[in-house]
Amino acid sequence: MAENRIRVDARGIACPGPITELVKAYRNAKNGDIIEVLATDPGFKPDVEAWIKRTGNQLLELKEEGGIYIAVIKVTAKK
Amino acid sequence: MATKKRVVVIGGGAGGALLANNLPLEEFDVTVIDRSPYHYYWPWLLYVAFKGSKRPMKKEIRELLKPGVSFIQAGAQSVDLNNRKVVLENGKTLEYDYLVIATGSRPTYSQIGGHKKVVERYGDYHSSEENARRVWNAINSLKQGTFAVIVGGDPYRCPPSPLEGVFLAEEFFRARGLRDKVKIVFAVPYPRPYPAEPMNEVVEPILRERGIEYITFFTLDRIDEEKKVAVSMEGEELKYDVLVVIPPHVGTDMKIAPEDVLTQDRFIQADKYTNNIKGFDDAFVIGDASAVPVAKTGVTAHLQAGVVARRLQGEDARNSGRTNCPFDLGYGLGTFVISDYNNPVVKLPPSRFSHLAKIAFAASYWDMIRYPELWNPIFEAYFEATEPAKLGRIYV
Ligand SMILES: Cc1cc2nc3c(=O)[nH]c(=O)nc-3n(C[C@H](O)[C@H](O)[C@H](O)COP(=O)(O)OP(=O)(O)OC[C@H]3O[C@@H](n4cnc5c(N)ncnc54)[C@H](O)[C@@H]3O)c2cc1C
Repeated sequence: MAENRIRVDARGIACPGPITELVKAYRNAKNGDIIEVLATDPGFKPDVEAWIKRTGNQLLELKEEGGIYIAVIKVTAKK
Repeated sequence: MATKKRVVVIGGGAGGALLANNLPLEEFDVTVIDRSPYHYYWPWLLYVAFKGSKRPMKKEIRELLKPGVSFIQAGAQSVDLNNRKVVLENGKTLEYDYLVIATGSRPTYSQIGGHKKVVERYGDYHSSEENARRVWNAINSLKQGTFAVIVGGDPYRCPPSPLEGVFLAEEFFRARGLRDKVKIVFAVPYPRPYPAEPMNEVVEPILRERGIEYITFFTLDRIDEEKKVAVSMEGEELKYDVLVVIPPHVGTDMKIAPEDVLTQDRFIQADKYTNNIKGFDDAFVIGDASAVPVAKTGVTAHLQAGVVARRLQGEDARNSGRTNCPFDLGYGLGTFVISDYNNPVVKLPPSRFSHLAKIAFAASYWDMIRYPELWNPIFEAYFEATEPAKLGRIYV
């Protein structure tokens, strides 16, 4: 199966918050897909970490570059 | 006299009607197109669903527009941004000098298995008066068991609206003396009941205080109405007796050329400061139809309409990304979700004043759409006094 890469730009979203954009991408993704999210809200980092822990998907990368958070997630937990 | 510039506005809802009424007719020839003859005040669905309100929530678009603004009741089928043309469902073609798309957003029921059946049975409060009425009937017939509200997916109109429904439902069951027999459960795909942390700090304690259960990280996948169970994408189950799902929304149903201005879920990409559709200086998108990083609320549509009206008149007006979503907390209390592009959400404590401000807003809504010249200064003063940068220093 071809790996599908989904890019999500959640920069600048304060209300309701960047986590909502990740959740939206996750809904439409299949196991094996990669989701890459860009965000500026500092709350995004702990939220992604908590989300990964609870849903059981895989975090490939989480870094900050010049005020921009980049999370790369592999979807693995869908039943 | 120079010929007037032709402005075509697609959608006569909160954003479109206000924009049209803000343009000077000496300078512009303004035409509003809407498929529906009515403009709906959508926030009222909440009070139809949870208070059984019978107050009218729609008005004829024609009556809301200033004399001199043309109205065509027809669906717009396609937009050709390169050739400045709009084709209507009735076959007519309109040409424009400036285009403003304000077609809002609409719920979709195809992303979640079994969703349609659930809406037919218990209704929802993000689609129509009829469905909101179904919610009212469903909560009135529930004498014991579990009442569940699940956020089905993003985006949806008005980020506080899922919790507003939960708070009003709790108040309803308590008033009926059924609170010890009806369990209330709220499920969200987020790490906390309200996705933005500062506002969550206001509402989460209220949920606990009122004995409302909540489940986080619940990404709704399918609903089995026979077994009365909702299942998450990771296989977690939630049993219910009455279920209201906040439906995920999608963008426009029009064909748009070039297609790459649309996101996957059909929202239109635009500059977040000017509302110019990506790559076009003569076309704009405002309100819920746009893919800009700000909540889908009427206040946003309102502010963007003001910015675009001023830009069309040659001013360099820009959006601040301001949100101001009123949040009904039940029992006559309320708050507002206030933020902008540069400032995170403010932690604004619950008050009676905020609730009354929401009700006052609802009461003046039609007047605000019809007479922007009277209301603009009031809004400007309000928004200035409540800038998140200022409030942030008071409420931390
Ligand atoms: C339960 C609930 C509570 C809410 N509470 C609040 C609140 O307290 N405060 C707040 O600010 N906002 C609130 N909102 C959100 C608010 O109602 C919307 O954000 C607002 O209506 C958006 O305005 P709009 O002009 O973008 O779209 P709309 O008002 O939806 O208008 C879009 C118009 O476009 C027309 N249209 C669509 N497609 C076509 C087409 N192809 N051709 C012709 N016409 C077309 C439609 O018929 C419609 O009239 C709430 C919403 C809900 C559902």
